Amino acid sequence: MGARVADGGLSVAGRRALAVLRHRTAAFLLAAALLWGGWQAFLGLSAPGRIDAALGPALARGGLVNVRVTLGFAPEDFHTRLFQDYGVVRGVEGPTLLLNRVRTEDVRRIARFYWVRRIAPQ
Amino acid sequence: MRAGVRGVLPFAVLVLAWAALARSGWLPPVFLPPPAEVARTAGEMLADGSLWAHVGASLGRVALGLAVSVPLAVTAGVFVGLNRRLAPVLEPIAGFFNSLSGIAWLPLAITWFGLGWLSVTFILFNTIFFLVFFNTLVGVRTVPRILEQAVRTLGGRRRHLILQVLIPGALPSIVTGIRLGVGFGWRALIAAEMIATTTGLGYLIYDAANFHRTDTILVGIIAIGTLWLATDRLLLIPVERWTVERWGLVSRTGV
Amino acid sequence: MGWRAALATWAALLGGVLAAWSLAAATLPMPAYVLPPPTAVLEALVDLARKGILPTYVGESLRRIVQAALVAVAVGVPAGVLLGMSRRAAEFSYPLLSFFQSVSGIAWLPLMLIWFGFGERTILIAVNYTVLFPVVFNALLGVRSVPQIYVNALRTLGASRWRIAWAVLLPGALPSIATGVRLGLAYGWRALIAAEMLVGANGLGFMIFSAQPFHLTARIMLGMGIIGVLWTLLDYFFLRPLEDATIARWGLVQR
Repeated sequence: MGARVADGGLSVAGRRALAVLRHRTAAFLLAAALLWGGWQAFLGLSAPGRIDAALGPALARGGLVNVRVTLGFAPEDFHTRLFQDYGVVRGVEGPTLLLNRVRTEDVRRIARFYWVRRIAPQ
Repeated sequence: MRAGVRGVLPFAVLVLAWAALARSGWLPPVFLPPPAEVARTAGEMLADGSLWAHVGASLGRVALGLAVSVPLAVTAGVFVGLNRRLAPVLEPIAGFFNSLSGIAWLPLAITWFGLGWLSVTFILFNTIFFLVFFNTLVGVRTVPRILEQAVRTLGGRRRHLILQVLIPGALPSIVTGIRLGVGFGWRALIAAEMIATTTGLGYLIYDAANFHRTDTILVGIIAIGTLWLATDRLLLIPVERWTVERWGLVSRTGV
Repeated sequence: MGWRAALATWAALLGGVLAAWSLAAATLPMPAYVLPPPTAVLEALVDLARKGILPTYVGESLRRIVQAALVAVAVGVPAGVLLGMSRRAAEFSYPLLSFFQSVSGIAWLPLMLIWFGFGERTILIAVNYTVLFPVVFNALLGVRSVPQIYVNALRTLGASRWRIAWAVLLPGALPSIATGVRLGLAYGWRALIAAEMLVGANGLGFMIFSAQPFHLTARIMLGMGIIGVLWTLLDYFFLRPLEDATIARWGLVQR
């Protein structure tokens, strides 16, 4: 004995409504998932390109590094506050932030931001 | 009598549980003062008029919002609803502005009007306006054509059409719109008063938090909830029901 | 009205509004920040997207509302159904739920600031509270509105309370629950924007509020537009279909 006791049979309108639900919502979710997945892939692939080669040895060594993060624009309050989660903001020179005591994992995390141009040693 | 007791009993139990929790000492008194202290503060605020001042400020803004927005919105809704070209296009746009209504307008209002009662009341204006406009529009459009045609065949002019068919026919929708507008508007008002002005229930409770006056906050919260509950149950819902019974051809709601 | 005519009206309306807006922005005798032209809003969109600010803030607001929706359904639906199963529990909770629903989460914010300070937890509690109560309330109402005859039919056939709840009460309450979810999220989305303004650190509410002191009015308008668009998307792709499907399928009850 299932839900049919309560619903009195699936009406034509009901069937149509369910079809609409499946169609509209599912299509949206699918599109959203695909877009999100593609975007994440792009971020992951482009991230290493943002890290300056000169930083390689320091990253391989591990521990804390001091970096220069160059953006494509003058950083706003939003960006300085964001970077305070990753290290100590020592100063700002034009489009570049000086960030101290950053963990190596965090350097890679910062490299994933699409709005970051380059991460170089100080 | 029994219904009254049934309505009050749960709150009595709540207050007793509250008193027990406060007495148990499990929470510091600044986090949850006992009901007796809150009652005492309420008494003080009623006596020195401060509570009345804040309640009056908030309710006054609602009244002003209603007085200005409802006539404008109903007029606009009727005229757009009558226009067969504009109505189907404006309906989704009006729906969009519904979803934008309320507190999201506050920064813009502050830009235009500065801090103070006008910015805060503006929030009420636009919340009530958009919801009543949308619901009037929908209400007018759903009045059966046959009634319009009946009036026309009987030689009635546009004026008769509007006053005797469309507005009564749309009245349930309009009243629903007012109810929704005041509902959303009241909530937005409290939030706006916290941010942008120095009178009103929202300001009262937000300011009290700065001074850790939890008792005042609780007085304010009880006032906010009671005012809305009373207005909705004792005024808005009965009026809505009455208009549906009296003129209810169709009743659709828009949020 | 044919879709071509509708599209033409749309285009004319949009063009007219943009033209009037640009003209007003250019000719008003007020500082530029009072009314930036539509192009400025577009520039703000590109600028904030390029700088990574917009996606971050949108993501944060969406994360909070989705989390609140999930919690409200996971906790609120079972709670409401359980309360609805017993006539005594339902009668007892009804006034309490009405009252607590009347007090928006934002009104509790000052108290939460005292308890938890300015932080993510305060925002989440306020928003979760706001979405939760309409869901519980409507679930309870939905269960109470299932005609007793269905319950009795199953009971005479020897079904347990839980079987009845699962097979009859829950499906019967689904239209009401869908409405409750929609209402709760409507309140909750607005409460979220307000909470982000008050407890500001990130999110769309913070974005538009923090832009005001710097007179970045184009950003404010952009943020408002996005707030409206996000709600419209949520409503169109999730909430409306849910409501329509449940009513069409299990609609025993009048809305």
